[in-house]
Amino acid sequence: MASPPAVTDAQLIARCQVADDRHAFAELVRRHQSAVRACLRKLTAGNHALADDLAQETFLLAWRNLRGFRQDARFSTWLYRIATNCWLAHARKRREELLGDRDADVVADDDDADGGDSTHTDHARAASLRIDMERALGSLTEAERAAIVQCYHNDLSHEEAAYVLDCPVGTVKTHIFRARQKLKHVLAAWNPAG
Amino acid sequence: MPHTDPDVRTDPADAWLDRLLADDAAQHRNDYVDDAGFTAQVMSDLPAPAALPRWRKPAVTALWATAGIGAAFALPGAVLDVTREAFRLLAAQPLSLSGIAAALVAVGVVTWTGTAWALRRD
Repeated sequence: MASPPAVTDAQLIARCQVADDRHAFAELVRRHQSAVRACLRKLTAGNHALADDLAQETFLLAWRNLRGFRQDARFSTWLYRIATNCWLAHARKRREELLGDRDADVVADDDDADGGDSTHTDHARAASLRIDMERALGSLTEAERAAIVQCYHNDLSHEEAAYVLDCPVGTVKTHIFRARQKLKHVLAAWNPAG
Repeated sequence: MPHTDPDVRTDPADAWLDRLLADDAAQHRNDYVDDAGFTAQVMSDLPAPAALPRWRKPAVTALWATAGIGAAFALPGAVLDVTREAFRLLAAQPLSLSGIAAALVAVGVVTWTGTAWALRRD
């Protein structure tokens, strides 16, 4: 088990807020970049280049707004909120292009997956599940996809997801309910009951 | 776990979907995205820090202090005279309840506006 870091996030944030400490901010980026980029990769349905661009934008916005962060939520949750807003803004602006990119990426991934061995190992199952899940998430509305990613993949509570999505808790539950109905249909091939 | 929230009723027949989502989520959380220069890129894109020399703040403070002391010596008794005249003018005004109320409202509005402005979030 990894030992807790010598300096906590709260201490690093305080250094940034009081003294514009860039070294402290660099440490915060190092600690959270993986989670933020992975979250955005899910939201963009596997478009890594776009996810990394949005992650850059997320951390720049975090730096600009860090003085206003009152630590009423975890820093990671606050970052997810910024990241989700960046993704939603981008998706609204370039909806058509986004869908085109996703389809192309999924097709490319399909080709890679089919090119290997045909034995159904755990690894192959995981890779196959990832591809199908990305495609399935792509079939959801932006709000539904964001709710699923925050609650399942980022393991946030409904209350935290409501903070990230800036909506009531009831709306998050509705998005998850609707998303599950769609996922059941799109991922029907994975249902052992057939 | 959020997806087992009793408010979100799930059909037992959908257990396969829960497992699928849990598997994908576990895989997602285990995947570490290597930094590979990402942090360095973010730091290089941050806006440049304001390049103010260290001596600027004490120098400005000293200049204001000098100006204040200079003004106090150059205008002996001026502040006292102005205050006395203002008080005399005010005291000469006829007082009414509506006038006092209006003055209180005005002071209140100015105070609250000032407080709200000082506590505003960027």
